[in-house]
Amino acid sequence: MRADPTKYYPLIPVYVAYLAMFLIGSNMTGMWQLMAMLAFYCALGQAFNIFLGMTGYVDFGYVAFLGVGTYGMALGITKLAHVEELGIGIIIIGLALAVVMATLLSLAVGAVALRLRGAYFAIATIGVNEGFRYFIEGAKIWNGSEGMIFTAELNQIFGRETASALSTFWADVLVLIIAAAAAFVTLYYMKSKIGYALTALREDEDAAKVMGIHVTKYKIIAFITSAVFAGLLGASAWALKTPYVFPPEVFEIHYTVEAIIIVLLGGAGTLLGPLVGGLIYGLSKYYLSIVLPGFQLLIFAPIIILIIVFFPEGIVGMLKNRVKGTALEQYVL
Amino acid sequence: MSLLKLDRVTKRFGGLLAVDHVSLEIEAGELIAIVGPNGAGKTTLFNIMSGVFIPDEGRVIFEGRDISRLPPYKRAPLGIGRTFQIPRPFSSATVRENIAIGAMFGTLGKKVSVDESLKIADRYIDMVGLQLHRGKAAGSLTPVEKKMMEIARALAMNPKLLLMDEAMAGMNPKDIDHMVAFLMRIKDEEKISVIAMVEHIMRAVAGLAERVMVMHQGAKLVDAATTEALSDPRVVEVYFGGAPKEFKKNWKKTNGPESDKGTA
Ligand SMILES: Nc1ncnc2c1ncn2[C@@H]1O[C@H](COP(=O)(O)OP(=O)(O)OP(=O)(O)O)[C@@H](O)[C@H]1O
Ligand SMILES: [Mg+2]
Repeated sequence: MRADPTKYYPLIPVYVAYLAMFLIGSNMTGMWQLMAMLAFYCALGQAFNIFLGMTGYVDFGYVAFLGVGTYGMALGITKLAHVEELGIGIIIIGLALAVVMATLLSLAVGAVALRLRGAYFAIATIGVNEGFRYFIEGAKIWNGSEGMIFTAELNQIFGRETASALSTFWADVLVLIIAAAAAFVTLYYMKSKIGYALTALREDEDAAKVMGIHVTKYKIIAFITSAVFAGLLGASAWALKTPYVFPPEVFEIHYTVEAIIIVLLGGAGTLLGPLVGGLIYGLSKYYLSIVLPGFQLLIFAPIIILIIVFFPEGIVGMLKNRVKGTALEQYVL
Repeated sequence: MSLLKLDRVTKRFGGLLAVDHVSLEIEAGELIAIVGPNGAGKTTLFNIMSGVFIPDEGRVIFEGRDISRLPPYKRAPLGIGRTFQIPRPFSSATVRENIAIGAMFGTLGKKVSVDESLKIADRYIDMVGLQLHRGKAAGSLTPVEKKMMEIARALAMNPKLLLMDEAMAGMNPKDIDHMVAFLMRIKDEEKISVIAMVEHIMRAVAGLAERVMVMHQGAKLVDAATTEALSDPRVVEVYFGGAPKEFKKNWKKTNGPESDKGTA
């Protein structure tokens, strides 16, 4: 990634969009919540794309990484609330715990499931999230099925006003930063050996091996990276934004499905795709919930199926082909 | 010491004996052809050499080292490059990226950066004549172009041994002659050994290899100098077992030791 600055150009449209979301949200009254929701979906797509998009493997248990990330932050705050000197450092510790827990879980799942091919991997991951949820509830760790509420701790550490700003503003800003960081890592991988290895194994795993690629190693790299961003996302978009965590909520498969839709809709394996997918998905969900509350999914499902059938490479995949050979080419990846 | 040595390798699929105690040695710089009718076990033998399959019995020795159980991704950097019977490009990647992947991961000993690999790719693109397709998605190439791309990708690995499965299937006589000339040239220029799998195209075999191994029903039938092998009665029997006498006689005439040119 040294030297050649044109390698970074594809980040420009991505970062312009995230900056615009921030500016619209902070300057137009009533827009912050919508922007925060869009940011969440973009970040979710950007994080999941590093695994789903770049390897072609589907992880149905993906939400579990957001779940343990949420717990990481919750544990950090509740266990360390009495250490007054920490101040804002407690958030850093919470994020670090989220990273560690997501990494450990992804290593455990990956070590077993990533030895399996394609569909078998997907099947093996079904239920990882539910399994983890029942484990927490059954073994009664981290307060079991009662979950954890830490509003009081946050108020105690930061004072009521700052604690409130933390969940209504800074948590969302953090989500935008996570999305931007995930985009940067995506581009970095794409331009490095990792990206070439992942492309090769996504297209033809056996041929990739014969070319000298240690496919399991690269799958695990993508898996852990994707899991870490999911953990960070859980820690900020869930734990910080709403200072409580209940097992059934943070291990809900529904979020995995949304992540899959966003990645496929935008264009799996592209840099811009998760952003486009996240925006379209988030906006449609938002407006459909106003126009036809309760019926979003009924309308949404066929639309998504149509888009995926007609644009199998996703919207950005199609766009990439369109701009090929034009001046825009180096900005769309 | 031979470059590659197969010592009675055997591979079964259920009850089917796909490769039956085959032994073979190839020296550095040698070019040999393996021929045999459909289902003879040629591709399976290749898969044993490149590590896609672990042999049920027997050993694979490369430069004196037993690599029978080594996974394919570890064999490639030792210097074993291959192409596939049905081309297997990384379809969404460009031709240049495909070939760069060979250089990046398959190169012996040293680590090759992305930028270096792309430069190496350009060299092999020129060598196989795909200049006009450099930036195209590999999936969009014609079958013959895909074959050329696979050869470039394997050569970019800087192999000591190049395994080519059905290098010339689906090619017209002109392409075949080109390919034969090309293989002879890279064998000398790149100083590599080549094992080329050829199904039915005797024209290619005769022009290409000094030595031929003929496989039949998983076993090695003949391993001899080309002219000798192609006129061997057992080989004629395998290929034209049910063919009329007249045909066999013709075959012998055009492929026998006394004939001066091969035929398709
Ligand atoms: N993965 C596999 N599973 C089961 N049987 C297989 C497998 N691969 C090959 N075979 C069988 O092994 C035998 C040898 O097949 P192989 O592909 O090695 O022959 P070949 O000489 O390459 O033939 P062709 O000229 O058709 O390419 C065939 O009977 C084939 O059906
Ligand atoms: Mg074959």
